Amino acid sequence: MNPIEEKIWNYIDGTCTPAEQEAIALLIEQDEVYRTKYQEFLQLNQEIAGMELDEPPMGFTYKVMETIRTENARQPLKAAINPRVIWGVSVFFAITIVTLLVFTIANIHIGLSAVDVKINMPAGFKLPKMSNIFSSQVFKWFLVFDVILALFLADSYLRRKKTAKQL
Amino acid sequence: MQSKLSDIELIEQTLAGNQSAYADLVKRHQRFVFTLAMRFSKSREDAEEIAQDCFIKAYRSLASYNAQAKFSTWLYTIVYNTAMTFLRKKRIATDSIDEEGTFIQIENRESAYDADNVENKSRSFYLNQAIEQLLPDDATIITLFYKGEQSLEEIAQTLGMETNTVKVKLFRARQRLKDKLERNLKHEVKELI
Repeated sequence: MNPIEEKIWNYIDGTCTPAEQEAIALLIEQDEVYRTKYQEFLQLNQEIAGMELDEPPMGFTYKVMETIRTENARQPLKAAINPRVIWGVSVFFAITIVTLLVFTIANIHIGLSAVDVKINMPAGFKLPKMSNIFSSQVFKWFLVFDVILALFLADSYLRRKKTAKQL
Repeated sequence: MQSKLSDIELIEQTLAGNQSAYADLVKRHQRFVFTLAMRFSKSREDAEEIAQDCFIKAYRSLASYNAQAKFSTWLYTIVYNTAMTFLRKKRIATDSIDEEGTFIQIENRESAYDADNVENKSRSFYLNQAIEQLLPDDATIITLFYKGEQSLEEIAQTLGMETNTVKVKLFRARQRLKDKLERNLKHEVKELI
């Protein structure tokens, strides 16, 4: 690269230090070679800066947005749902099933022929009957309410997290 | 009418589900993206395809956009990568076409311009013609620097190069542009005589 040309382009682009800028300005003023090159480059610089951008065809934005809309519509429901929501629901059900299983196992009375296990319960204490609990209408509604509440809370939590991430 | 909201605000609205905000972003950047695509493809049809592809890719990965960098810098990186991939694919597809074929294509394009803009043959016409004759990398650097309001550092980020390399490439690209412009103008003067 020609050092004179490099200096002049740096001067035009404003990429040199103030001291260099001053020195080049002085050279342009005093040296004929520098002055001619400077005028030449300045003209080219102005012409490039003034060039027009190409215009895309009519309806370009519409085409882009239509493609995006079509792609979104084609997306299967499985892909449209946030996978974290699916995971949240799965974990909730897994925990519920495990809890019920533990509770049921804990309440099973195993009778052994060799060893007779007897647990002394406090007077007046009665264990609830499992069959009554599971068949009761109140329990069913309680479960439905729990599921809806859990889904609602999981959804609002994920939404808040997503908004915070975007900001 | 274009939106007065900033790029970041439009992105936030798009991510919140407002698609018209993205349409505003497209309107704002489409001319520059299309021009950059033209620098690579040298054909309006291909440039339209590249530019569309870029905006769709940008929409898909908008959530991963890091607001610390300028949106335009991020978008131009997508344009550069998409255009490079397009050129690579095209080179494979047209591997049998020799230099002469390409030359004929450029010549035809110029004559099409001639027919349309006979009365507008100004210096800016020759400038555009000279830019079209440059290598895609040279034309892209010049366009990014002058029309994309990009600093040398931002161009380096877009093209995945060192800032100093971009600086040297810009000097050389301007020199080549100047040579081509002078050659085209001389040729035109000879034809008139």
